Amino acid sequence: MNRIEKLTELIGKGASWFTLLIVLLTLTVVVLRYAFNIGATAVQESALYLHGAIFTLAAGYTLKHDGHVRVDIFYRHFSNRGRHLVDLLGTLFLLFPVCIFIAYSCFDYVLASWRYSESSVEAGGLPFVYLQKSLLLLLVVSLLLQGSVELVRHTLALLTKEVIEDKDAVGDKL
Amino acid sequence: MAILLFLAVCLVLMLGYPVALTLAGVALMFAAIGTLTGTFDSSLLGVLPNRLYGVINNPILMAVPLFVFMGVVLEKSKIAEQLLTSMAELFGRFRGGLIFSVFFVGMLLAASTGIVGATVVTMGLMSLPTLLKRGFDPAFSAGAICATGTLGQIIPPSIALVLLGDVLSNAYQQAQLQMGIFSPKSVSVGDLFAGALVPGLLLLTMYCLYTLILIKRKPEQFPAVVDHRRLDWEFALQTLGALVPPLLLIFLVLGSILFGIATPTEAASVGAFGALVIALIKRQMNVKQLKEVMISTTKITSMVFLILIGASIFSLVFRGLGGEVLIHELFNNMPGGLIGATLLVMVVIFLLGFILDFIEITFVVVPLVAPILLTMGLDPIWLGIMIAVNLQTSFLTPPFGFALFYLRGVSKELITSGQIYKGVIPFVVIQLLLMLILSIWPELITWLPSQIYG
Amino acid sequence: KESQAVQTSIADVETIEWKLVTSWPKNFPGLGMAPERFAKLVDEMSAGRLKINVYGAGELMPAFEVFDAVSQGTVQMGHSAAYYWKGKTPAAQFFTSIPFGLNAQEMNGWLHYGGGLELWEEVYEPFGIKPLAGGNTGVQMGGWFNKEINSMEDLKGLKMRLPGLGGEVLKRVGGVPVTLPGRELYTALQTGAIDATEWVGPFNDLAFGLHKAAKFYYYPGWHEPGSTLEFLINKEAFATLPADLQSIVTVAARAINQDMLDEYTSKHIIALESLINEHGVIIKPYPDEVMSELGRVSKVVIKEQSVKDATMEKVYKAYMEYEAGVRKYHKISEDAYSRIRE
Ligand code: NA
Ligand code: NA
Repeated sequence: MNRIEKLTELIGKGASWFTLLIVLLTLTVVVLRYAFNIGATAVQESALYLHGAIFTLAAGYTLKHDGHVRVDIFYRHFSNRGRHLVDLLGTLFLLFPVCIFIAYSCFDYVLASWRYSESSVEAGGLPFVYLQKSLLLLLVVSLLLQGSVELVRHTLALLTKEVIEDKDAVGDKL
Repeated sequence: MAILLFLAVCLVLMLGYPVALTLAGVALMFAAIGTLTGTFDSSLLGVLPNRLYGVINNPILMAVPLFVFMGVVLEKSKIAEQLLTSMAELFGRFRGGLIFSVFFVGMLLAASTGIVGATVVTMGLMSLPTLLKRGFDPAFSAGAICATGTLGQIIPPSIALVLLGDVLSNAYQQAQLQMGIFSPKSVSVGDLFAGALVPGLLLLTMYCLYTLILIKRKPEQFPAVVDHRRLDWEFALQTLGALVPPLLLIFLVLGSILFGIATPTEAASVGAFGALVIALIKRQMNVKQLKEVMISTTKITSMVFLILIGASIFSLVFRGLGGEVLIHELFNNMPGGLIGATLLVMVVIFLLGFILDFIEITFVVVPLVAPILLTMGLDPIWLGIMIAVNLQTSFLTPPFGFALFYLRGVSKELITSGQIYKGVIPFVVIQLLLMLILSIWPELITWLPSQIYG
Repeated sequence: KESQAVQTSIADVETIEWKLVTSWPKNFPGLGMAPERFAKLVDEMSAGRLKINVYGAGELMPAFEVFDAVSQGTVQMGHSAAYYWKGKTPAAQFFTSIPFGLNAQEMNGWLHYGGGLELWEEVYEPFGIKPLAGGNTGVQMGGWFNKEINSMEDLKGLKMRLPGLGGEVLKRVGGVPVTLPGRELYTALQTGAIDATEWVGPFNDLAFGLHKAAKFYYYPGWHEPGSTLEFLINKEAFATLPADLQSIVTVAARAINQDMLDEYTSKHIIALESLINEHGVIIKPYPDEVMSELGRVSKVVIKEQSVKDATMEKVYKAYMEYEAGVRKYHKISEDAYSRIRE
């Protein structure tokens, strides 16, 4: 369990560097076009790939840090046991089925793209569309990894009646 | 079935599991039941990969992480905080002046980026203690801070408008073609930015007017700061120093769009980079802070896009269950034609704002209703701004208003939830009043875009 | 006895329902009407036995997901343009339009009587897709410009949205092909973030409102001299159709292929008049010098790209052979007639 959590942390923190990168890459596109009259489709597409990578790879990390928004009118008033129960049931009946379904439905789609090593349709674009499409499966991996940790954590908490510390009410939300 | 799905989603949402997974999970359960009972064409779900790839491959939505990044830099680098301190010292000498400093700073922050959470947290930490210490009414102070924090939603640049622009341009195209009128108009994020400027400033003016009326009636609740700083050169320089960064950023973002240097999406990167450079120059950014900025941006981006993915699955199933046809019929049978339908949509969005936030409404509700209203001949920019103002209230309406959470989160000892709830009511009413004004004089929205873009 | 059997079968046979997704917004003028008319035609010809539900771009999936969806069998049909799939198979570009390539009439000749369609089928074979020609826009316009083009020098540093091979050619002569999402195109042209863009032709360009964002309307569309659209059919789905329905689909597609060109030919006239007379658009020809240089560079670029891919090279050779022949004949027929009409 600990190893999986560490992996989630590592992936999340790694993906967070992409936020800085997309700022720099998009700025580069602007500067190249405006100041140097150079079209940089490959740079544009790199930024777009990384943008997609941020939220697909870090979905599990955000789950770990309770960053996915909830309607907590009632949730905040539940007892700790109640919250663990909601999260356990949610993980089992919402998170897992959604992940499995996305994986099942996207697998052939991504595989096909790999099979003909799909490349960009734009002149001067990147020849790695199959990598970008693979992010759909990595989203599932990212969520399933952390989802299985959550499953164990909430089950244990319910079984041992352990009181787990209150989560911070102010998350990083918009 | 479609109605059942909608009700079930609302019900399950109330339990408090993350919204994105609830939307997707409940929808898939309904798809499964529908497939077994023969009321759902399961082959429809086959298009899911194509839709999801559309989410990760949409270059316009890249503005979201870029603007978030800029907002978080402003927060973590204390640029916002310094501005607030200076303005409080400048305005504080007048009766009620501290409140106006909150309004003014709120406007500047809103115009440079406008992450509601960041603005409310900053002002809650910085201004609320001062306001209370000076004897301002706690409820009013809390309301003013929350309301000002949400200005970033409407004053461009704004993530809400970027997302709305994306949804509305699709809806507008659909509507025009359905009418068989190939009106040479298209609606872009730039249009919405231009359209939002006047209403945003008008809203701020209304906040100020309301405050002035209160000062007239209950002067004792709006004291002036007696031991204020002298107006000397040192103070003037310090004030200027605090004002320059946000003004520069506003100029960078809007200027790069208007002078044809960057598209609105790209302008977000100009702003984000500008904020980073300013923070570095002010020595308010080191590697540790930068990492915090990146982590915050990552979490917010993940949150937004997972909702998008969830909403995409939900709307596909909703469609498969005949939901869109249902809504069309509902609106077509609505008495009162266009006005009746518009009113209904606005009321529905306002009510949904109590339980959902703007992202969910933008992605789940707007695509369903906007094409219908636009087909009836509504101006897309006007509709976009009305929805944006309406959605702003969702931040302020208890029990599920984000702005209220943020403020409560940073001022647990100072103020009660009850006081915050009471304090925001007048500001919600002002926002509704603004919607009324915008309905009577739609030119307030449409004039500026028509001037800029011809 | 046989006619009796046919009658009962029409009554008893259950309707087949197909989904057709397109790369155009629903009911988009010209391009988007073709699949709608096709579906109606098939419905009538098959006496309701084959119902085709048409979905516009974004309804079920984004515009450029059409090919994958048909290939995977998620939907049975698509309506799109082959050059959008050059990232999957570069040879596809020849089946829409290439710079200084065949015009509409010649494309139809090559596809249906010059071996083009067989090559097209071969190219799509690995994807399980059967292609059919699905319309043509005619020679497109050169595009909307805010800068005048008087010499090759003016193309240097010109920021233009020009996708595909045309963009590659522009880049070779010092221009800046810019990649932009369609929705940002209008604003980008207006604020000056780009200097020029191509779109389709008067009929579609008027509807898009590009005349409000640019001064000069250049001709001709050297980069797309007659774009063929396509119907994509999932091969397995097609194989399950009874022979008569297969014929109906093929014939309806052929009818729509011609119908779109006929509609564009007529609607372009009215739209062009409106652009000139009501909107004061300035129509300008590319200078001869510019055209001949772009023509030269185009040949180089297309050859270079073709030799990189075996399938593309095969199509390239067949296309060029047909092109050389038809050019020779059209010089003394179509082109000669055009000249004497002046
Ligand atoms: Na803003
Ligand atoms: Na074109």
